[in-house]
Order: sequence, then C-alpha cells, then structure tokens
Amino acid sequence: MSATLIDNATAEQPRNDRNYLNADHTLKSWLLTVDHKRIGILYLIAVTIFFFIGAVAAAMIRYELTSPHGILLSSEVYNKTFSAHGIYMVFQFLVVAIPAVLGNFLIPLMIGARDMAFPRLNLLSWYMFMTGGLLITLSFILGGVDAGWTFYVPLSTLSETQISLCLVGIFITGFSSIFTAVNFIATIHKMRAPGMTWYRLPLYIWSHYSTAIVILLGTPVVAITLFLVVVERGFGFGIFSPELGGDPVLFQHLFWFYSHPAVYIMILPAFGVISEIITCFSRRPIFGYKFIAYSSLAIAFLGFLVWGHHMFLSSQSVLQGLIFSIITWILAVPSAIKVFNWTTTMYKGSIHFSTPMLYALGFMGLFLIGGLTGLHLASIDTDVHLTGTYFIVAHFHYVMVGGTIMGYLGGIHFWFPKMFGRTYSEMWGRISAMIVFVGFNLTFFPQFIVGYLGMPRRYHYYYFAPEWQFYHILSTAGSTVLGIGFLLPGIYLTYAIFKGKKAGPNPWGAKGLEWEQAGSPPITENFEKPVLVLEDPYNYNPEEDSKMYEHEVESADMLGGRK
Amino acid sequence: MAGHDHSELTKGGAHPHHVLPQGMIFLIAGGLFAGMAATIGAAFMIPEPLHSNTFFMQSLALAIAIFKACLVVYFYMGVKFGTRLVKIFAYGGFIWFFTLFIMMADYVSRPLEPVPGWETVPSSALPRNTVEDPE
Amino acid sequence: MSGHAHAQGDGPEVYFQYEDIDQQQESYVVGMWAFLMTEVMFFGALFLIYTLYRWKFHDTFFFAHEQLNWKMGGLNTAVLLFSSVMVAFAVHFAQKGKKTAQLICLGMTLMCAFGFLVIKTFEYGAKGDHKLYPNYTFEYGAHDKDHKVESWWDDNLPAFMHIEKKEQHGDPKNAKLFYSIYFTMTGLHGLHVVIGIIAITSLMVLIMIKSPLITDYVPTELVGLYWHFVDLVWIFLYPLFYLIPR
Repeated sequence: MSATLIDNATAEQPRNDRNYLNADHTLKSWLLTVDHKRIGILYLIAVTIFFFIGAVAAAMIRYELTSPHGILLSSEVYNKTFSAHGIYMVFQFLVVAIPAVLGNFLIPLMIGARDMAFPRLNLLSWYMFMTGGLLITLSFILGGVDAGWTFYVPLSTLSETQISLCLVGIFITGFSSIFTAVNFIATIHKMRAPGMTWYRLPLYIWSHYSTAIVILLGTPVVAITLFLVVVERGFGFGIFSPELGGDPVLFQHLFWFYSHPAVYIMILPAFGVISEIITCFSRRPIFGYKFIAYSSLAIAFLGFLVWGHHMFLSSQSVLQGLIFSIITWILAVPSAIKVFNWTTTMYKGSIHFSTPMLYALGFMGLFLIGGLTGLHLASIDTDVHLTGTYFIVAHFHYVMVGGTIMGYLGGIHFWFPKMFGRTYSEMWGRISAMIVFVGFNLTFFPQFIVGYLGMPRRYHYYYFAPEWQFYHILSTAGSTVLGIGFLLPGIYLTYAIFKGKKAGPNPWGAKGLEWEQAGSPPITENFEKPVLVLEDPYNYNPEEDSKMYEHEVESADMLGGRK
Repeated sequence: MAGHDHSELTKGGAHPHHVLPQGMIFLIAGGLFAGMAATIGAAFMIPEPLHSNTFFMQSLALAIAIFKACLVVYFYMGVKFGTRLVKIFAYGGFIWFFTLFIMMADYVSRPLEPVPGWETVPSSALPRNTVEDPE
Repeated sequence: MSGHAHAQGDGPEVYFQYEDIDQQQESYVVGMWAFLMTEVMFFGALFLIYTLYRWKFHDTFFFAHEQLNWKMGGLNTAVLLFSSVMVAFAVHFAQKGKKTAQLICLGMTLMCAFGFLVIKTFEYGAKGDHKLYPNYTFEYGAHDKDHKVESWWDDNLPAFMHIEKKEQHGDPKNAKLFYSIYFTMTGLHGLHVVIGIIAITSLMVLIMIKSPLITDYVPTELVGLYWHFVDLVWIFLYPLFYLIPR
C-alpha cells in the first residue's frame, strides 16, 4: 500500500472527474435516484434531522432534572418529552443510522457490486422512512405521545394522546427497514464480485448480514403488535387490554421479542464499523476473523432468545425468567469474543490515533462498561433492585450512545473521504472525539450512581431525595459537553464537504475494495474496471506501514502526530 | 447477436431451471382438495369418544393443514427445486416461527408459582378499581 | 429503463447492477423469500396470540366459533385453493412462454380473489347482524343456541389440562376476544388478498401492454409466490377458526 502514503505521489484526483455526486445536480436527480450512494446520503441527511429533534428533547429532559422540583415542564409535557426522545432516537435514528447510511453506501462497494440488488426498492424504503418520520412528527405536533417509546398496554390504549398516529408512523418505518434488510440479504448473497467468497468478505458485511436477518425476523412481530394496539384504540378490539379480556403481559412479550433484538440491530453494524477501523489503524490483519464473523451470527440468533429479561418484574413466571437470565449470560460470550479479538488485533500493531480510531477506542471502553452493567440487569435478583431506575437508563445509553453512536461517528469519519472526496480537519476531529468521550462519561456515569441509589426513570422530580441533585447537575453538565461534541462534527464535516482538502482514493492506506478499487468519491457504477478479488481481507503489515497517512500530516505539528 | 450466442444465452438461464409439469400441478391440486375434504370430514364425522378429544381433533386438523402447506411450499412455491439458498430461507422462516412459542412456556409455567397470577385470579382481568380481593 | 439496462440478445433484459440473467433471477427469488420470511413472522405473532387465548379460553372459543359459518369458510377455502392451482399454472405457462394461457390463468386467479372477498363480505355482514363485531356494539348471545356440553373426555383429561368451565355460551368477554382475533386475522388476510389483487392486475396489465418491465417469467413467479403464501395462511386459518373441536 505504499502508493497511498504521503511521500509517494499523492495520486491527486482531478476534481472535474465524474463521480456520483456530480453526475447530476438537479433536486429531482437526488429525490428520484436509485444510486445506493445517493440514497445513503439522503438517509444521512434524514437521520441527522431526526437525531437533532431527539437531542433537543434530551436537552429538555436534562434541564428539567437539574432541580429536585422540576423547573421547566409540567408532568404531562415531561412525559411527552421523554417519549419523543425515545421514539425519535430509537425508531428514527439508532435502528437506521448505521445500516441505512453507511450500509447502503458501502455494502455494494465492499463486495464489488455496481449497486444494490433492488435499487428502486431501496429508494422506496427511504420514502417510507420519511413518511414514517413525518407521521411521528405530525403526532407530536398534534399534541404528542406520552406512553414512552415502549407503548406498554394498558397505558397506551387508555392514553388520550396521539398514539395511533405515532404507531402508524412506526409501523411504516418498520416496513422501511424490512425492505432495506431484504435488499441487504439479496445483495450480499447474490451480488458479490467474482472471487469474493464468504471468508473474504469484510467483517462489516458479516455484521450487516446478521443485522438484516434480525430485522427480517423481528420487525414484523413488533409491527403487528403495534398494529393491534392501533386496532384496540380505534375499534375497541381487546387483544391486550385487560378491561377487554386480553393480557397486557402478552404485549410486553411480543414487543420485546422485537425490541430486544432491535438492540442488536443497533449495535451489530457498529461492531462491523469497529472491526474495519481497528484493523486499519493498527495496520494488522484482524485477529480471529471467523470468530468475529460467527459471533455476529451467534449474537443475531441468541439475541432472539433473551427478550424476557426486560420482563422480570412483570408477571412472567420465575421459571421463564431464570431461563432468560441464563441465556442472557450466555449472550455475553459472543460480545466478549469480539472485544477480545479487537484488543488482540491491536497488540503489536502500529497504532495510529486518528479520529476514527479514537472513536473506535472510545467505543470499546464504553461498550465494555455498558455490557458489563448489563450483566447486573441480567441477573434476576439484582435486576429487581435496579430495574426501572436510572441505572438501566445509564446502562442502555452506554450501549446505545457509547456503542452505536460512537460507531456511527467513527464510521462517518472513517469513510468521509470516500463519501465526499474531501478530508476534514484532523485536529478538530480528534478534539471532538475527545469531547464526546468525556461528555458522554460525565453525562451517564453519575446516572449509574443515582440509579443505584434509587432514582426512578421517567420521573421529572425527586423532591423526596434532594441529595441526588448533585448527580443530576453533573449529568446535565456532561450532556452539554456531549452536545458540543455532537455539534462540532456537524460543523467541520459540513465545512469539509464544500471546502475540505481533496482526498485521494485511499487516504488511510486501508484495505478493501472500496478503498483500493474505487475512486473518492466513487463513480455511479462504483468501479471503473471489473472487480476480481484474489486475496483475503485485512492483509495489513504493521512494519511496512508505520508511516503517516496523508490525512495526518496537517495536524502532525499541532498534536505531535505519531512519534 | 449471432444465433450461436443466443442459444448459449438461453441455455445459461433465460429459461427457468425447472418447470413444474402440468400433471404434477393437477396431482398436487388433487392432494390439496383431498386435504380440504379430509379437514371438514374429520371435523364432523369422527365418532365419539375421539370426537370430543380436543387434542386429538386439533392435532389431526393441524396435521392435515401442515400436509397441505407442505404440498404448496414444496411444489407450487418450488422449494423442492430451488437452490440451496432458497431452501435455507424457506425452512428458516418456518422454523423461526416456532421461537415465538417460547412465550407459551411463560403461561404454562405460571401455575407453578407460589403467588397467584393473572390466570388464577379471574377478577384481575377487570379494570383496576373493580378488582376484588382473591380472598 | 433502457438507460439502466443492457439487453442480451433476444433474452430478457438484465439491469445494470447484475452480471447476467441468472444472477438477476436468483436475486429476485431470494429477495422474495426473504420477504416471505418476514410475512411468516408477521402472521406468526397472530397465530401465537390465537394459540394463547385459545388455550386459556378453550370452551368459550368453542361456543363462539359456532357462530361462524363453516360452509362459507369451506367455500372460501376451495376458492383459494383453486386460485392457487391457477397461479401454479400461470407460472408454468409463463415459464413455457405461453402468454395467452398465462393471462387466462391469471384472470381466473383474479376472479377467485374477488369471489373470496365477496364471500368474506357476506360473512362479515352476517356477523354484524348478529352483533358480533368486537367493538362497543358487541352483544354476545344475541342469537341463542342450545348446546349440550358433556363429553367422555372431560373427566379423563390430566389435571393440568383442565380448563375453567363456563356456562353454555362461555364468557362474553372472552368471546369478544375470539371475535377480535378472528376479525384481525381474517381482516389482515383479506388485506393481503387485496394486495394480491393489485399485484396480479398490474402484472396482467404490464403483460398485455408488453411493458419492458416484464421480459421473462420471474415477475409472474414472484406474484405466484406471494399468492401461494396468502393461500398458505388461509389453509391454517380455516381449521383454526371454523372447525374448533370441542
């Protein structure tokens, strides 16, 4: 890979080269595109907007909790605020962020295909995603939803807010992700370039394949469950409502049958991103390729058999609770396999602390904390004390934000030169990665403590225990830092899209078809020449590649660079 | 395009790998309608005491339904002649369906609990303010 | 489409993202099966709900099901089975390249689908007359029937299989549950039939106007797979709702 290093001719791309971005400039060409890369960019814009809405709701929650008595919102509005935060973040951001943005953009590039198997279906799923998002937004404009993102019956059937509209929106979003998953499955199975065998696939593809399987098998169940709630509200059919003869716990069963695997829909693609980043910036082949690949599939399948650990305190039987508890502990094994393999990959590597690598390292630390606290919640006896407190809030934020969003931001920074053909400011990248890490821990670590002390989740005051205010103020301060950490990439990346330095086809010296055989940004058909894969993935060599990337030179003076 | 190329092409896959013959379609159709007749016949003509044995009757009805489903999936939907990939997806979907039934384990094992649950206290299915004390 | 596709001789069009026609056809079939997997889980959740409540409230479900008309349901089964056979023939003729025969078979399927919906409408209408819509109008027992409830088996079941006995017609609340599930499942199935009608109609129109979208048998096969799935669901719905044993 010496050709891509800075001291050997930085293959300067003539800017007037055709690529997918300048193929056509009209708005129509974007809105009716079937190019997977443009659809990825459309998703990028969409999820950023939804993330912003969710983040505003989060900020309101944090501000409210700085006082034991509440300062900003009434109880009803607070309920709607945390519902908005949960619904936007889960259904409109986390579930789609990595698969739909980076997955859409990269899967055909990584396997050497010209496009997804069903490009028009791909576009349709974006429109469905937007329709779902607009309906959810409409439901909040028309008065909001106060049942939380879990929509537990009978609260959601009795509530007089805009729940039906919101559920229809989520239903449509769900089918959008089903169509995306169908596309991924067909693409990964049938569209691989000649020579791209299963064991030559990047681990990113393995994890997206597992994700697609989970989406296919889980999403329809939650779709029908939420549909039944709509029917119950609309027509008085009583399938879940105890007043009408149903069993509300059945709703929880069916809801978590999807929503626990949904956690893996969020985290598995992040695993894939981290696998790519760690190998690239350690300059070593991944350690235990097959273990990581199969642990993705193991997580996908075992993830379906643990939903009951959300229901230890419902009227689920203790016997079933025990079984779910045991399977949950088993599920920790494949996740741990991945973390160990990443760590071993770095051992004796030539590590570059570039922006994506900082996010990846942050991911590993935060996911470790998130995962291990998950084990406290997986044991029935400790769960009885901790469930429904801020401990659980902190736990899943460590996994979701510390896992998925770190992975997402790391992936965006890693593939940014590929997506837009420009490089961002490495210095600002590193600074904001550090800010996110610090802000994140400051926000959520106090929540572990206050949750352990007994602060219930979804309460908007705690006048009964004003001593908790200290932790809440710490948390709110941290969330401000975190907010800055999320705003900064928004600013310098947007700047870089228009004004950044031009990037060569392979600024990181990374392996993989998308770096080695496609331009930055790629042309509409992805590859100039037919692709033939002859070697295994990740054949990095730490000794050969101990030099700096072109990307790093700019900031080398300021931050000391490497060495 | 030369004629030679064209023949190559058709051999390569312009035509399907397997066409279900007409006789076969009729045969399967016969099986399906026979299955339907058997379902209805079983529901009304099986004598006592078997007729009031819910488990037997239900198993019989489901067995016939599964038989019919297998005919449709194997032959009409072409899984029997499909690629290995199609087979994996077809079987996988139907097998995964049964993981949902793990939920039944919860309801079956609730009576084993020392504390009365939802099913042993019928009144708990009433609105909360009307729940009576289960003694 | 011509901009996105490259033709291969006289054979079917290959879209630009595919290498050859084999890859394209297999991708479509795999994609359809992946989607059907989703559909299995979609109805699967409903079958689970049915199983649970049927197991809980078996007797009520038995009494409630007697209000359903098994003859109409049986007729519908026959109609759907016949339509499934017709679709199988349509795929057969599509594979053989016989356009006219294929169109006739698809037309027959379409007629069966409409017939199914018409029969369903009559059934639903009858339920309305008997005040059996599971909403606020629900009034179970409006149409009385006399049932003799005793059986040899009841005394011989193992203890854990004993199910709470109610009076002759069962608990109205649980009967309402039965009709909720009945209307949900058959309604969603009916919705699938409507989607199938739309799919078959557009397929026929596209074939008739010789659209460049239909260049080989694969679209027919995909519609066929979907229609067979609709039939498959009904194969299970019929005995589970119309022929509940005591």
